[in-house]
Parts: sequence; structure tokens; C-alpha cells
Amino acid sequence: MLTNKKAEIPMIQLTQETRSGWCVVGVRGRADAEAADELEGALRAALELHPKVAADLAALDYISSAGLRAVIQAARAAQAKNIEFAVCSLSAPVQKVFDMSGMHHIMRIHGELPC
Amino acid sequence: MWHNQAILTETEFVLHGRLGELVRLAAETARFCREHSLGDEVEFDLNLVLEELFTNSVNHGGCAGMENAVQVRLQLLNNAVQAEFADRGRPFDPLTAPEPDLQAGLEERSVGGLGVHLVRQIMRDLEYRRAGGWNRLTMRRPC
Repeated sequence: MLTNKKAEIPMIQLTQETRSGWCVVGVRGRADAEAADELEGALRAALELHPKVAADLAALDYISSAGLRAVIQAARAAQAKNIEFAVCSLSAPVQKVFDMSGMHHIMRIHGELPC
Repeated sequence: MWHNQAILTETEFVLHGRLGELVRLAAETARFCREHSLGDEVEFDLNLVLEELFTNSVNHGGCAGMENAVQVRLQLLNNAVQAEFADRGRPFDPLTAPEPDLQAGLEERSVGGLGVHLVRQIMRDLEYRRAGGWNRLTMRRPC
């Protein structure tokens, strides 16, 4: 029974592809405290190699403050390197956590991908 | 009669002091919500609140590596989920933690304190007590 539940609650899955000059990092599943380092690492890796990076959060079902912290650290790294960093396509529950945390004060949240 | 029904609606689980337990925390929360026909929004909120408290206990409260470090009780009572989060870490009252400055810019924004802030945003009637070596936080989420 527990095995079934694990299957229903996927860990984080990260993909990367390049489209129209943007590196799109696709984030799927759950950005919890256990997955936060992996998320931050994937975003930072993209920022190392590309001048424009978009985080596509459309398939992200869950985020906690640890996941938000990963996004904030990536945004800081982008600002330090003068790289365009777009956080895009939040699901309703993830949007709620962003709102409660005042994320719109520190970064622009895009309704859709820029590419 | 009512008292008996209330007891039947209760779930309790124990977690060890390591972040790998977040999978079980999410699964137990999902099971409680499914058994009581509570919607996705309630499940999301409970999962988020319990994760924030749990990761604080493990990362900052001295529960890292501790067996049976945390005990969670969930109960459906009077159209609300009554939750109790207890840990055997250092005495810590999250209700006395300073609120983070949400207006601060990207550079100045502190990344600490956000978890407790989310707990206080989502839950109602939070009460803390320290008893018998346990921190106990009770709270409710109307549903």
C-alpha cells in the first residue's frame, strides 16, 4: 500500500531543452526540502551555459519554502551574472505558495513561457 | 456517541529525523485526506505545513538522525482538521519567531523564516507548549 502511495507522489523530475534562444528547464513533481538542492543545481547549471533561462513550472504540483529558496538562489545567481531568468506557468497551488511568500516582490512571474 | 466518532477519525504517525521521511509524511497526509474525502487544497496545505515544521525540526531543531523524532496527529473535528505536530528537539516555540520581511528585495531577502510564515498563513488557533521533553504545536485548518 505504501508502495502505491509512493508511485502516486512523484519526486522531482527535471528536463532541459533549448528553444528560440531560451534554455527551458522543465520542473515536474514536487519541490520539497529533499528535492530543493537538485532543483537549485539544475537551474544554476542552466545559468552557467545560457544567457536566457526559463523555469517552466507548469507540471510542478507542490512547492515548499525549501523549493522557493532554490528559485530565489537561482534568481540571485542570474542577477549577479546579468542573465535573463524567467519563472513561468505556475499551477494554482504553487501560485498560492508564491503569493503567500511575496515572491512577486523579488522576481517577475510569467504566465506563459517566453518562447 | 460523538466522542467515539471523533476517535475513529484520528490518524497518528511517527517520523525519524531525516528528510527521506518526507515521502512518508506526504503519503500519510494523502491517506488521511482520502479517507475523509478532503479535497486537494486541504491535502496540499496540510502537507506543506507539516513539511515546514518537520524540516525545521530536522535542520535546525536538533532532530537530525534521531529515531522517532516526530509525532503527527491529524483529526477531523467540527469541519476542520485539528493537527498536532510534536518533536523531541530543542525547546523552540515557532510562534515567537520573527516574521520575515516579504517586501525586501532579491538581494536583501532572508531565506530563513519563510516556513514558519507559511504555517501561520495557512493554519488557525496555533498553540505551543513544551512538555515532557517534547515541543507540541496544535493548530487547525478549516475545511
